[in-house]
Amino acid sequence: MSQDNILRCWPVLAALGVTTVPLLLQLPVWIPLLVLVMLGLRGWMLWAGRALPARWLLLCVLTAAVLVLWLTTKTLVGREGGVALLSLLLGFKAFESASRRDWQVLLALGFFLAGMPLLFDQSPLAAAWLALSLLALTWAMVLLAGAAPKGSLRTAISALLLALPMMLVLFVVMPRLPGPLWSMPHDQKRASTGMSDEMEPGSISQLIQNQEPAFSVVFDGAIPPRPSLYWRMMIFDDFDGRRWQNIRGVTQERMGLSGGDAVNYTLTLRPEKSRLPALEYVEGPSESTRMEPGGVLRLEKEGEELFRYRARSRPQAAYLTDLSLQDQQFYRRLPVGNPQTRLLAERLRLQGGDDAGFVRAALEYFRLGAYRYTLSPPLLDGDEPIDQFLFSTRQGFCEHYASAMAVLARAAGLPARVVVGYQGGEYNPVGRFWQVRSSDAHAWVEVWLPSRQQWLRVDPTAAVAPSRVSEEVTQAIPALAGGGAAGAASANWWRPVRQGWQALSFSWQQWVVGYDASRQQGLYQRLGLGDSVDSAAVTKGVLIGGALACLPLLLLWRRQKGLPPLAEGRARIVGQLARHGIAVRDSDGPLDIINKSRRLPEQEFKQLKRLFKRYSALRYGAAKPDSAQERAWLKEARRFSVTGKHLARGSPPRT
Amino acid sequence: MQSLSLAYRQLNNLVLGKPRAIRLALSCLIAKGHLLIEDLPGVGKTTLAHGLAAVLGLRYQRVQFTSDLLPADILGVNIYQRDTGQFHFHQGPVFTQLLLADEINRASPKVQSALLEAMEERQVSIDGESHALPAPFFVIATQNPSEQLGTFPLPESQLDRFLMRISLGYPPAEAELSLLMGQDRRELLSAMQPILKEGELPKLQQMAAAVTVSPALAEYVLSLLKATRGDKRFLAGLSPRAGLALLAAARAWAMLEGRDHVLPEDVKAVFSSVAGHRLGLAGDAQSELASLLEHVAIP
Repeated sequence: MSQDNILRCWPVLAALGVTTVPLLLQLPVWIPLLVLVMLGLRGWMLWAGRALPARWLLLCVLTAAVLVLWLTTKTLVGREGGVALLSLLLGFKAFESASRRDWQVLLALGFFLAGMPLLFDQSPLAAAWLALSLLALTWAMVLLAGAAPKGSLRTAISALLLALPMMLVLFVVMPRLPGPLWSMPHDQKRASTGMSDEMEPGSISQLIQNQEPAFSVVFDGAIPPRPSLYWRMMIFDDFDGRRWQNIRGVTQERMGLSGGDAVNYTLTLRPEKSRLPALEYVEGPSESTRMEPGGVLRLEKEGEELFRYRARSRPQAAYLTDLSLQDQQFYRRLPVGNPQTRLLAERLRLQGGDDAGFVRAALEYFRLGAYRYTLSPPLLDGDEPIDQFLFSTRQGFCEHYASAMAVLARAAGLPARVVVGYQGGEYNPVGRFWQVRSSDAHAWVEVWLPSRQQWLRVDPTAAVAPSRVSEEVTQAIPALAGGGAAGAASANWWRPVRQGWQALSFSWQQWVVGYDASRQQGLYQRLGLGDSVDSAAVTKGVLIGGALACLPLLLLWRRQKGLPPLAEGRARIVGQLARHGIAVRDSDGPLDIINKSRRLPEQEFKQLKRLFKRYSALRYGAAKPDSAQERAWLKEARRFSVTGKHLARGSPPRT
Repeated sequence: MQSLSLAYRQLNNLVLGKPRAIRLALSCLIAKGHLLIEDLPGVGKTTLAHGLAAVLGLRYQRVQFTSDLLPADILGVNIYQRDTGQFHFHQGPVFTQLLLADEINRASPKVQSALLEAMEERQVSIDGESHALPAPFFVIATQNPSEQLGTFPLPESQLDRFLMRISLGYPPAEAELSLLMGQDRRELLSAMQPILKEGELPKLQQMAAAVTVSPALAEYVLSLLKATRGDKRFLAGLSPRAGLALLAAARAWAMLEGRDHVLPEDVKAVFSSVAGHRLGLAGDAQSELASLLEHVAIP
């Protein structure tokens, strides 16, 4: 195989390699690896001038690979199976690519494959890699068409830039589908990092160590102080001696809020099990959400797409409700056991006097009781875990304190429940939003005071480790703070970078991934395209947007038109030839062009020869430049066009 | 014009399989330039020079250069005539129309510079007296690039005196076969008839000088010169004189192609022969020039 062919084909293989890389994160690793190895092997074969393997051999290997694929993924369709099959086939296609046309097909497949990682991941990083893949593929396409290596990158970039406006118009204008295009069943149960349905010692401390963003919030106006940012998500009403869960013992609860200023905010998250966090206390359900007893929000329909909702809360309000005797009874249920705790409850009850006094006394008890806040508390393996925690280990995390507090309250005869959600969050000054992470997960207690008919939030953790609420969790736990001054310094350096990245992904989620039907409708209305996204409005949008997107093309065309007639005509003819695989360089003179075009059909070749003879005479001849003649020549040059498909088939011979 | 193409065909019959070299040699002479042929012994340098002289109807002299050659051996010498009591100038072999200076790099620098001065001035000065050389006057010099021992390589400034440097190389197999099977070259040479008549060559040279160079083409030559000047692969770029030489050679080449104007392709055709030795490139290291031609856009 000649040097030139290597120069043309290697870029194709390299571009396909770039395109395959992100799949390493999404598919079983051996599949993308195999594809990469095959691409490399094909490149080596080109370099060594090896002949292509026999068809039957290819077929055998392919069958084996597909079989292994089927055995690992159990399917050849669906997101994972389909993408894996496609990338495998692409690798094998490289082994029967020999002619220019084959390589072109391979590149076209590559463009398709480039979009596949988006089925798994729609982060800005994935989009950035997509842009890289597109650039690589386009560059390879330019080189495959026979362009000189120097300046070919520029050509590729300008081609992509010219296509960019059209892409934007289509993104904005084309109707959004409700839900993602790839609404296929999930292939594997992905390990969920979210909250579990139960709370037992250890369930939240795992979350705390996870820095993954849970949701982001944008406040409309004033932002409540950080210590009052309690994001309620789940209510646990039943305790079995070890773990808390929600058995929905109370199905109805009339909720009334009194006092406090209202705060409006927008939350964006990927809901898990249709749970939605909301700032305490939310006034009512908004669009496509409903309210559950206990004042927590739920998504109307199950779904895991990115969800955004507006809510209105009154953080300083009092949560008033009248519990029936039966419900009060339910919220006081306790299994037998933990005698010491019961004794303590009685003592605190006496000490405090009334209900509110008991709560104060309990918090005081936690504050002064030499309790330590730690992520790695000793295991509570006794028969009386609450006793063990309160009186012997005295080390724990929010779930320990919340659980103990709720048990104490119930033992003292007060209705109580555990609330699980998030506390606090990190303000991102770059994107002006709050980022709440898994590490902000928190559990606290709500105690119902019969005298006031009010659920009162009681956070024993705040009594033990006040910094947990006033600062970030990483500050409260020395082990997470990175230990010492060096850690703090690196955190300072790292912080703006991290915040910048978060802001970027937040806007990305908001405007690109979160550009859904409702946002589109809003945009349509603002642009005056129509009140709804119907076919007339879409047509209008495509036409107007398309016209705008074509402006750069028009400018390019105008610039070409602005050339002197001879140069413009030459550029036109060169363009025609390029379409048929005859690559003309800037350094080619008229005779070079004629020589290169010998494989044109006779008719066209004669015409081309005539055109360039005349061109030579006009441009290099003795006669004075005559613009009338030059324009006449241009007119003729514009008529030149190559038809016929036989040309495309030519070029690199089969190795 | 017809006679020129006839001469070209004749030469092709004599030196087989080297149409491009022959065409370059012819255009060199038509552009009034001297020619340096750099090649191994026995590939047909002398035959080409001899053939050129024969078909162009030129008087021909050959000097084999050696290290003990003196300037007077080439230029000539004043000899005292006893009968008249005066000095009489005896012309050396340089007084001819076509001088073949064989293995020029074997001679001492003194001899080399004497010859090169004669090439440039087209006259010889001996004892304060100038003797004009016949017109036309060409030098075809040869040198063997692979022999280094006991040679005096021509310095760059003197290489500049040659319009072109070409090499012949081994003939292609077919041509070599017919060379082996064919008639003896010496016999062919002696049977050759001059094709150009007396005074026809100067006319052709005038015609070549009148071939049109359009502003667009001059721009192309300019960008070629510029490209050599900015390039790190070359010690120094091409001089303005080299640019003029390039144009002259391209004109002659265009005329040989039967055109009355120079095309960029004509410039490309002669470029490596005109520029190679001026840029200090070895005879076979022409890939730099080829890539240069590929990258300089034609305006």
